Amino acid sequence: MDLLGAYRKMFLIRAAEEELAALYLREKIMSFVHFYVGQEAIAVGVCDQLKEEDRVMGNHRSHGHYLARGGDLKAMVCELLGKEGGSSKGKGGSMHMIDKSVGFVGSTPILGSVTPLAAGTAFERKYNNTGGVSVVFIGDGASEEGVVYETMNLAGLYKLPLLIVIENNLYSVNTTLSERRTAGYDVQKVVEGIGLNYRRADGNDYHDVAAKAGELIDGVRAGTPAVLECITYRHMAHSAPIMDESVRKEDTLDVRKEKDALKRVRDELIAQGDQAGIEAAESQIKAHVLDAISFAQAAPYPAKESLYTHLYE
Amino acid sequence: MSERIIKYTEALKEAADQMLAQDPKMFIVGLGVSYKNGADGTTAGLAQKYPGRVLDTPVSENAVTGMAVGAAINGLHPLVHHGRIEFALLAADPMFTQAAKWNYMFGGGNPVPIVLRINVGRQWGNGPQHTQSLYAMFGSVAGLKVVVPSTPKMAKGLLVAALKDKNPVVLLEPRWLFQLKENVPEEMYDVPLDKARVVKEGSDITVVSYGDGFVAVLEALELLPKDVSVELIDMVSLSPIDHDAIARSVAKTGRLLTVDTTTPAFNVGSEVIAEVARRAVVLKGAPQSLSCPLVPCPTSTALTAEYYPTKVDIVGTICKMLGKPAIERELSFEELHLPPGRTL
Repeated sequence: MDLLGAYRKMFLIRAAEEELAALYLREKIMSFVHFYVGQEAIAVGVCDQLKEEDRVMGNHRSHGHYLARGGDLKAMVCELLGKEGGSSKGKGGSMHMIDKSVGFVGSTPILGSVTPLAAGTAFERKYNNTGGVSVVFIGDGASEEGVVYETMNLAGLYKLPLLIVIENNLYSVNTTLSERRTAGYDVQKVVEGIGLNYRRADGNDYHDVAAKAGELIDGVRAGTPAVLECITYRHMAHSAPIMDESVRKEDTLDVRKEKDALKRVRDELIAQGDQAGIEAAESQIKAHVLDAISFAQAAPYPAKESLYTHLYE
Repeated sequence: MSERIIKYTEALKEAADQMLAQDPKMFIVGLGVSYKNGADGTTAGLAQKYPGRVLDTPVSENAVTGMAVGAAINGLHPLVHHGRIEFALLAADPMFTQAAKWNYMFGGGNPVPIVLRINVGRQWGNGPQHTQSLYAMFGSVAGLKVVVPSTPKMAKGLLVAALKDKNPVVLLEPRWLFQLKENVPEEMYDVPLDKARVVKEGSDITVVSYGDGFVAVLEALELLPKDVSVELIDMVSLSPIDHDAIARSVAKTGRLLTVDTTTPAFNVGSEVIAEVARRAVVLKGAPQSLSCPLVPCPTSTALTAEYYPTKVDIVGTICKMLGKPAIERELSFEELHLPPGRTL
């Protein structure tokens, strides 16, 4: 496994999100945004197990999934800034990431809604017998939507090559799990009760995510859909960079810093003796991010006439 | 061509059958579509003829419709069947928010070639929760093409056209018309998804209608005094509405009546009248619309007799608009409560 390669991807997501968060505070960026900071090990750990032909779908918080899959950074920043060169020509914004050239086939912010769509991308693979799996990322809040349970059963019934990744960051906006679920609520029992495979991973640990995702995806390729639940921490607020720390329970600032997924991988790489290599990679990625932001800021807005284009294909 | 009289449901099945034979990317999903007489006969025998392509589903409208949308964005051509519009509403998200927005919100190049066949349930005994005529709701959603087949011939042609289209198309099919018969060409054909039809030319008044309202107008024409000349338009498409065809006709006749079986609030007929007004088409009298009252459709026949506009109501309104005396006619139980089985 190429741990430095994984770190580079995680650092790219972190650097892009932090620079964009700062930009949001500085300028009027009118695209509703949900930052991924803290959850990078999940996107990268899962996507590292995928083949080129596999498909990924995401949700309202999907900059990380898009970048982990290799999505175009400049097109992403342009999209956030509402520019013509955006990945959706400025019509989607932050909540509608797409780059089909790298198998990132779309993301939708209506909680849970993307789950059956991803099942459909897997259905197409099975129907045409072309191989390949589909992975869909949803959050713990979305996983409470009825359609997610409907989709688990449907995927199991039709034997669709689908992996549902639940990124459990402990909050739906600011509402905690215990405020939303019965004391006995057990995701594992629900998933296994429907007949799908289930693993729980430490979402702040790249190695644990990668290992369990790999294990489940082997089963998915063989015809048993699965759910990977990753327990993680969201470092920023639900939909803005600045957070009211008083709402946090177990994941206080100290705990988040200590268990930070990037810090863990970085410490491990340093222990292997390549501090200079890491620092060089970090400064190169930061420059790449700043370059993309400058590019997007200077890029043109879409022409007014495009309001009426693309309603139908 | 020899006469070949088939039912509305048989016309729908024939369209699906011919397209399944031609298009290997097409498949059908829906509750009971693989039954021997699946989906009121509209999928009868297709599961046996096309193994693995006509799929019965769990009772999970949201997930099943969403899965079909996901398959469509990756190049398959799903036909989703919802036997009741109220059950289709459980899939409002994949229809209205996913399929209808997908190509636009990703800046084009992301077509969703899905067809939704949804039965609108006017039928004796079905009551408030099986009969909602939510035509206008679908017509108001940007990104959907919405058509209503009013005859067997239109049913076949519109379904073929929908299945050939690259975009999400909704067929709202009035269950009331399922027994209607017509001479339907056996070979495959399609009709435009966005064009109204002038079914009968006339000079005194333009009547604009669709679906079961349209068939009620056809029945009314048989009762009208011989000296009344009606121009009858079948809207066919509710999104987009063919306003040009309607305005052309109203400019000629100077009178406009709309007939349908929805409630009168946020009503298709009101939309038609509003556009005629915006275009300043000169009228000889106030336009009228005939619809159902703003109450749920009840179950008792004593009440449904009052609920739906009848051919006598339509004739009465036309005569009043033309300053002629209304006709007197008692409708039989069959005329009021049983769906039309006539041959057009």
